[in-house]
Amino acid sequence: MKLTKDTDRDCSRAWEAMPWVLQDSAPPEQSAWLTEHLAQCEACREEFAQQSQLRLALALPTDVQLDPEVGLKRLLSRIDDEAQTTTAHVRSGTWFTRALVAAVLVQALGIGVLGVKLWSEDAVQPYRTLSQPSPMAMPGAIHVVPDANMKLADWDSLLHSLQLQVVGGPNDVGAYTVVPEHATATQDTLQQLRAMHGIRLAEPATASP
Amino acid sequence: MKDADIDADETDRLLLQRMVAGDRAALATLYRSYHGRLCRFLSRLTRRADLIEEVINDCFWIVWQKAGSFKGESRVSTWIIGIAYRCGLKALRQRGDEPVDDEGMPEDRMPSHDPGEDRELRDWLSKGMERLSADQRVVVELVYGVGHTLDDVAAIMQCPVGTVKARLFHARVKLRNVLPALAGDQLTQKESVP
Ligand SMILES: [Zn+2]
Repeated sequence: MKLTKDTDRDCSRAWEAMPWVLQDSAPPEQSAWLTEHLAQCEACREEFAQQSQLRLALALPTDVQLDPEVGLKRLLSRIDDEAQTTTAHVRSGTWFTRALVAAVLVQALGIGVLGVKLWSEDAVQPYRTLSQPSPMAMPGAIHVVPDANMKLADWDSLLHSLQLQVVGGPNDVGAYTVVPEHATATQDTLQQLRAMHGIRLAEPATASP
Repeated sequence: MKDADIDADETDRLLLQRMVAGDRAALATLYRSYHGRLCRFLSRLTRRADLIEEVINDCFWIVWQKAGSFKGESRVSTWIIGIAYRCGLKALRQRGDEPVDDEGMPEDRMPSHDPGEDRELRDWLSKGMERLSADQRVVVELVYGVGHTLDDVAAIMQCPVGTVKARLFHARVKLRNVLPALAGDQLTQKESVP
C-alpha cells in the first residue's frame, strides 16, 4: 500500500464510514464510495471484513438467559413494599409526591387501614400532655392532612371556621388530629373538610366514629 | 426513524402515560417488551445474570417513578436504555469494577443449541470485548449490535457526540489489534474468493 497523503485521507474516510455502511444508515453515495475504495485498498478491506464479523457476532442471541416473569414479579413486590414504607419519608417529599403516595396508599390499603397507618404511635407524642387523653381515643377526633404549601393563616382560619381544635400532629406524613368543639358535628365536619381546597385527606381518627 | 420504530415509540409513550396514572398492567407490558433488549445490552457490561436482573429492575423502578417526567425529547427506548446504562455503571461501581468473568461464561451455562460456528464467533467476540472498557463495550454494542446513530448513543450515554466518536475509535483500534489473529484471517480469505 502506498502511504501518500491521499490514501491516508481516503483510508480514514473509509474507516469512519464503515459502521454506518454496515448499519445501512449511510447515504447511498457514501456506501458506493466505500465499495470503490475497498476494491483498491487491502488494509481497509481487512478492516471492513473484521467490522462485518463484529456485527455478526454482536447479532448472536445473548447467552444470558433470564425469565422476565421472575424479574417482573420481584419488581412489583418491590413497588408494593415501597408504597407501604414510604409513609415514613413523605414529609420531606414535595406536595405532589406526597399526594401521589397518599393516592397509592388509598388504593393499596383501603382508606380504613390508611387512617391507622398515618397515625403511627409516637407521631403525636410531643403534643400530648398527661392531662390530655390520647387523640386516638378522643371522641369525634379527625385526622387531617393539609397541603404542604398551605399557609399557616389559611390553616388557622380553616380551623376557626369549622370550630376545630388541633390536639395532635403534624406527624411524619403531615397529618394533624383535630376535634370539633361540638362532638356531635364530626360527620358534617368531615364532609366539609373533604370538600375544601387544600385538604388532601380527612378521616375519622377512630375506626368507628 | 423507520415507521416501525415510530409505531413502537408511540406504543411506549402510551404505556408511560398509563404508568403515570399507576397502571401496573402498562408497567408489565413495557417491562416484558424491554426485558430481552436490556438483558442483551447489559450483558455487554457484566456477565453476571443476577446483576443483570437487578439492574433491569433498578432501571424499571426508575421508569415507574419517573414516567411522568419523561418529556419526550427522545424516543422512549433511548430514555430507558440510558437509565439502564447508568444503573449498570452504578452496579459495577458498587460491586467492584471487574465486570466480565475471567473466563467468560462457564461451559455449562452455554445454551445447548449454540452451534459450533456461533460458539467460535462468540468466543472471538468475547476475547475482543474483554479488552475494552465498559464505556467502549457499550458504544460497540449500541452502534454495531443495536444499530444506533452517534446522536442516539450520545443521548443514551449523556455525553457529547465527540466523546462517543472517540470511544468508538479507540474501541475499534483495540479490537483491530486484538482480533485479527482469531477469525479475521479466515474471513478475509473467504471473502477474497470470487
Ligand atoms: Zn484504505
